[in-house]
Amino acid sequence: MKTKRIFILTMIIVIFGLINVYSSSHVWALYKYDDSFYYLKRQAIFACIGIVAMCVTSRIDYHIYKKYYKVILLSCFLLLILVLIPGLGVVRGGSRSWFNFGLFALQPSELFKIGMIIYAAVFIEKNYYKMKSLKYGLKLLMIMGLGFLLIMLQPDFGSGVVMACSIVVMVIVSPFPFVYFVGLGVCAIIGIILMILSAPYRMERILSFLDPFQDPLGSGFQAIQALYAIGPGGLLGVGFDKSIQKHFYLPEPQTDFIFAIVAEEFGFMGGVLLIGLYLMLFKTVLRLSQNVKDLFGSLLAIGIISMIGIQTLINLGVVVGLFPVTGVTLPLMSYGGTSLTITLMSIGILINIAKDKNCVL
Amino acid sequence: MTLIVIAIIVRLGYSQFYMYEELSLKATESWQRGFPLEASRGKIYDSQQKILVDNLTTSSLIVVPSQIKDPVNTAYQLSQILECSQEKLLEKIKKKVSVERIQPEGRQLEEEKAYQIDRLKLPGVYLVQDTLRYYPHKNYLAQTLGFVGIDNQGLVGLELKYDKYLSGVNGSINYYMNAKSQNLNIYPAEYIYPTNGMDIELTIDTRVQDVVERELNNAYNTYHPDSILCLAMDPRNGKILALCSKPDFDPNDYKNADSEIYNRNLPIWKSYEPGSTFKIITFSSALNENLFDMDKDTYYDKGYEIVGGARIKSWKKGGHGLQTFREVLQNSSNPGFVEIGRRLGKDKLYQYVNDFGLTEKTNVDLTGESKGIMFSYDRFNEVEQATVAFGQGISVTPIQLVRAVSACVNGGYLYQPYIVNKIYNSKTHEVIVENKEKCIRQVIKEDTSKKVRDALEGVVTDGGGKNAYIDGYRIGGKTGTAQRAINGTYAGNGYILSFLGVAPIDDPQIVLYIAMDNPKNCVQYGGTTVAPIARKMFVDILPALGVKKVTEQREKAYVWSDVKTFDVENYIGLTKKEVKNEHYGFEFLGEGDYVIDQLPRVGEKIEEGKKVKIQLGHKVTTVDE
Repeated sequence: MKTKRIFILTMIIVIFGLINVYSSSHVWALYKYDDSFYYLKRQAIFACIGIVAMCVTSRIDYHIYKKYYKVILLSCFLLLILVLIPGLGVVRGGSRSWFNFGLFALQPSELFKIGMIIYAAVFIEKNYYKMKSLKYGLKLLMIMGLGFLLIMLQPDFGSGVVMACSIVVMVIVSPFPFVYFVGLGVCAIIGIILMILSAPYRMERILSFLDPFQDPLGSGFQAIQALYAIGPGGLLGVGFDKSIQKHFYLPEPQTDFIFAIVAEEFGFMGGVLLIGLYLMLFKTVLRLSQNVKDLFGSLLAIGIISMIGIQTLINLGVVVGLFPVTGVTLPLMSYGGTSLTITLMSIGILINIAKDKNCVL
Repeated sequence: MTLIVIAIIVRLGYSQFYMYEELSLKATESWQRGFPLEASRGKIYDSQQKILVDNLTTSSLIVVPSQIKDPVNTAYQLSQILECSQEKLLEKIKKKVSVERIQPEGRQLEEEKAYQIDRLKLPGVYLVQDTLRYYPHKNYLAQTLGFVGIDNQGLVGLELKYDKYLSGVNGSINYYMNAKSQNLNIYPAEYIYPTNGMDIELTIDTRVQDVVERELNNAYNTYHPDSILCLAMDPRNGKILALCSKPDFDPNDYKNADSEIYNRNLPIWKSYEPGSTFKIITFSSALNENLFDMDKDTYYDKGYEIVGGARIKSWKKGGHGLQTFREVLQNSSNPGFVEIGRRLGKDKLYQYVNDFGLTEKTNVDLTGESKGIMFSYDRFNEVEQATVAFGQGISVTPIQLVRAVSACVNGGYLYQPYIVNKIYNSKTHEVIVENKEKCIRQVIKEDTSKKVRDALEGVVTDGGGKNAYIDGYRIGGKTGTAQRAINGTYAGNGYILSFLGVAPIDDPQIVLYIAMDNPKNCVQYGGTTVAPIARKMFVDILPALGVKKVTEQREKAYVWSDVKTFDVENYIGLTKKEVKNEHYGFEFLGEGDYVIDQLPRVGEKIEEGKKVKIQLGHKVTTVDE
């Protein structure tokens, strides 16, 4: 029952995503590649690959990851290091985050997220009672921190934050005492300040989010263009394919800002409905994680759903103007092969956890 | 997590509901490229619905910089046609704006140039409809009408004064475009229709103005004065029927005109000593105070009057001798007016000058009116009082004078002069503003006014204004010859010659004033040079205004055909005892045994039984200089 619901919700979002990838991208696609369907075709191919991968992972017993967790993590680290080497890693949009394989590009940070979650789930299960001491908690967080640093070197702030947050959520649900987080929080704030000092454009981004109209052609540009899409959408939207903002006003509307075009074309109702779909998916998985008797499975489910959930909320928050522009895609919706495939694979893992005979349902 | 979700939904709703209007407006602004639709400026008509100011439809050049693929070539091609700098054009073409209007080079293009540009079919280059202000009668009424700038904004004259009404609200065609400025066909273009300006109807009557313009042009070409001006007013309501200044200019080509010419609407701007025309005011004031009977009481002009130790001379050597007060006006006797001024006294004269509105602006609805100069009450002493009485030592504008004289002849009512009859919606003809006559005060009595009209007719039939006499029309008037004052002192040479006419004198419908500044090659006397101009004007204006010819009118000289008249003999030089005649009697004035003057003069007619006035004096008369 649960597995079916997860599957159906995922499929609805993916199909809705494909429709919107087409609607939001065809103007740019025609302009850049002389093919209105360029982005749709590629996204559709990755959706198919992803769905196949999801079916595969949903049939692979998730306990197998426990066996290879170190190998998985180490190879993820290796990829993170390799991608930083010029010639191997490709720069796109100012970040060296991609391996180019001709037909498609691979984003190692996407792989690292899931690898790190598997590692954390195994680590917490193995050292469950030792997590009460600061030492073990810190050890896990430091491994995560190393990965975070490597991701920041690309730099890919968005992926880094999403990964870090989902690991933190996993640590929080472990016996690791909450008070330590207060101290860690202070460290994090200091870290953020240091990061801003090291790259002043981040400060600009934060400032531009407070009042995008201060610098309408610079740091506030994307935020304003998103508002110009969302605002005129109103209650019911301007109608499918009637968006004006996708006509070169909003840069690459099929990726990070796809929700803005959804809100423009389908209005407040469409936006809330989509958010509702995501919430239903998250709620289903969260309830599942509580009911899994297997500790590893439960932690893995929490980790994966935190990753997808946090990324979704950050993306929506950015698009509506609650957070500064970070460069995080909307899971299952935004155009992006690696992201879509990995997310679908992770959902496959979730489905497999739900199938486990240790699951109460 | 729930909090973040709620925050996201609230924020989404805030943008889509609360900020909906504002964001939609701003977004639409960024999506649309507006191509201007020029509003048609209001037209100006005369009181007979004849058009004075019109618009021509032309085209103007605009460019959409982002659509221009080859800016250098585009700038080159356009600069060839527009005959302007390629670099400047290129600068405008490369501007980072959605739509750029090429001006002034590309505004209001001639048909030929517009056609050439259209033929090039350059991407991103458009021609939009524009309007060009057009003054079909060129120099006609130029200073009054004024002109507009490149954006059809009023700069001078009525165009400036009534700009608020004349100018419309420009519209636009707003095309939806993508961020690369290509048309978006999913949404139709929005038309914002322009609102045309209001039309204005003036009190100016082209039937009068035509004549005035023609005669002033003739006079200007004949006498080459520094300037010449004319103002015609309907004394019954203060409507300005015509006003004109020369030299003038063509508002269609104002860029080549001198600002001193277009900024000075002389009939309201020029302030100077009016000279003898001012005597009408003094005369009316004295009549209103019953200070004399103009036909019975007399004044002996011995050629001068001593005022405060200064000698004020008559323009005629030796003076005009014995005169009735009617003749004092007809002869324009300065010593006579010194006497009238004395009789009025300081306070009365000062009060009448004020009451006739000669110390304040008339507030006519035109730009650039001057105020004139009058002594302050404290400085208004004996000499000032004497000179002001005959029109010197006071400076007024023609419109002040014409308004005051209108009050003298219309029954005594001082009106607010005005030039705009009404302002109305050009489409619906709904009247927005309508001016009606506005009486400020009654200055003199109806009865006095009647006498003034009679006296002014006398000036034309028997006095200095004879050259304005017309058979069949009863004209009143007064000539003027004033020395030009420059920076407060009299210029060594040159006069302002003027004539002020009223017609028809029994029911005045027009007060016409002409003043010519420093004319050349002519008699420097208003009655000789300017009165004939006024006559020519009246000859054409009065029939045009529908004034009926009269069969009976006062002849140029008194002839009483039904009464027996006799020629008056000479008595001057005789003793009092020698003065005798069987047909008419005598009235002796003054003291002495010898006759030094008489009225009527030798050879003039006198009715049987009437009295000849004899001025007595001593043997040696004091005529000198």
